[in-house]
Amino acid sequence: MTITLGIPSKGRLKDKTIETLAGAGITVEPAANARSYRTSVTGFDGLEVLLLSASEIARELRDGAIDFGVTGEDLIRESIPSPGRAVEIVARLGFGHADVVVAVPDSWVDVETMDDLGDVAGAFRARHGRRLRIATKYWRLTQSHFTRLHGIQSYRIVESLGATEGAPAAGSADVIVDITSTGSTLKANHLKVLNDEPILRSEACLVKSKSRRRSDAEELLVGDFSGRFGGMAPGA
Amino acid sequence: MSLQSPSAEALASLFETRGASAITMDLLQPAEPYLDTAGEALRRRIYLTRGEAGINLCLRPDFTIPVCLHHIERREPLPCRYSYRGLVFRQPRGGEGPRELEQAGIEDLGEPNLATADARALADALASCEVLGVEADSIDVVLGDQGLFEAFLSALGLPDGWQRRLIRTFGEDRQLDNVMAALANPGSTSLDNVPDGLLELAREREEGALIRAIRDRMEEAGLPPHSGRTPQEVAQRLIEKVATAEGRLSGGSIDLLKRFLAIDCPLAEAADAVRALAEGAGLVLDRAIGFFETRNLALQAAGVDLSAITYRAAFGRPIDYYTGMVFEVRPKGGGVTLAGGGRYDRLMTLLGAEERIPAVGFSLWLARLKEHVRVANEGAAA
Repeated sequence: MTITLGIPSKGRLKDKTIETLAGAGITVEPAANARSYRTSVTGFDGLEVLLLSASEIARELRDGAIDFGVTGEDLIRESIPSPGRAVEIVARLGFGHADVVVAVPDSWVDVETMDDLGDVAGAFRARHGRRLRIATKYWRLTQSHFTRLHGIQSYRIVESLGATEGAPAAGSADVIVDITSTGSTLKANHLKVLNDEPILRSEACLVKSKSRRRSDAEELLVGDFSGRFGGMAPGA
Repeated sequence: MSLQSPSAEALASLFETRGASAITMDLLQPAEPYLDTAGEALRRRIYLTRGEAGINLCLRPDFTIPVCLHHIERREPLPCRYSYRGLVFRQPRGGEGPRELEQAGIEDLGEPNLATADARALADALASCEVLGVEADSIDVVLGDQGLFEAFLSALGLPDGWQRRLIRTFGEDRQLDNVMAALANPGSTSLDNVPDGLLELAREREEGALIRAIRDRMEEAGLPPHSGRTPQEVAQRLIEKVATAEGRLSGGSIDLLKRFLAIDCPLAEAADAVRALAEGAGLVLDRAIGFFETRNLALQAAGVDLSAITYRAAFGRPIDYYTGMVFEVRPKGGGVTLAGGGRYDRLMTLLGAEERIPAVGFSLWLARLKEHVRVANEGAAA
């Protein structure tokens, strides 16, 4: 009888996650084999840790393949159609802060808000024979921000797998939706963030899967594990 | 799933009587025309798949676009009417509900007499409901008209940019309210981040100098010069935006617009209501009201009872290919849409037609209609 926790497999997110777990009395042991994705912990019996990529963690939580995961809220909201139904944010962990924002070329001196961008998108087809193109890897967040929140219908999403900020200069998109912490990458690419509220203020979260089947004993373990993080601000 | 065959036959024969030729469409359709015309929001609602060559395909989410594409490909003589019947596939909201839905309907392409074609679409939709056993007093029919809304905005003399913004949100009450709130308070338009110097140029309408400054910025950013927004486009919009933000709009215009949008009355009384409002405010709206009345006459000629239809000035669809009349049939007192339709004069050219082809159509949600009739009959029996 064990429960599983997915944590980021590399980088700063991994280090901060291990630090946070240590703060809750749980020590992640280095994997016996450097290539292994599975490792054990001391300080919490029955907990198994998997090292996964951050986006994989969101999907595994959605599918109920792991009990808990540490990943960015952006990936949770992007990967899971109805996040409230499939997962629960147990704690916001206070690191990995970044905003998902809309950025446009800084030469678009007439565009400061989503209302401006809506005007531009509405007239785009008639002027250029195609829709305004948005490069992003966040198509779900982009749609709900543009369409549901701001009532903008006329745009196309160009899925971007990396270096989204280069899309306008490359000519593959007109504007972008991307994650940024300091904005310096955007600025270096002559892009500016719109004045409105960002699409999402994201940070790393400890997330529980609600779609995983568990025995009563496992439920108890899950309760205990969540309890270790009870002091931190819970999420929506 | 499908209706019993007597009503299916009755519907097919009605469509034929109304001069519509039945066509069949592939279940698997190219997805691009849908995403390009209806917008990205549709992506969540349709079943997408990818063909081997990377082409996006989807399970047919409606018939209007395939019918239009069929026509564009075959270039049959205009005007013409097509009818269809078959399954459409939609991802249900919240993941629950039917994924396959049977639809039938008519698309009417190229009829130059718009009032006649509008009236025919609505009359045929109501006749179809009747053929399927729907009692006229068991449904609500609502009609809206984007053409009349646009004419009203134009008569108010609102700045072009504001007119476009209002038209874009027509049919989305919350968005429209937001735009009107901003309109009531022109100071809400932010000009704080316009770079130094450019704001002055925009105030003085120095378009040439603005274009040069914007072109420099675009070059510095390495934006490709021949795709996307041009320096001239950005300059012109900045000038217009500054003029609108710093101009003064009479509070009266917004009040009139709100009163227009609040009109909600039997269709038989609608033209008089709009005329009274326009005349009281000294707005010239004769042409648009004239068309509205011509269509009402055509509806009466087609046997439609105008007092049984509600005109709601704020009713529309925020999709940019809809251009005029829209209507919807729901169970009396509310519920799911049983039938709906409208005029979409911009769609054919968006899909690649070389000339503008006026178009209007309607579709029936057959399973919902069947359920509606069943419930109504149960109510009558009890």
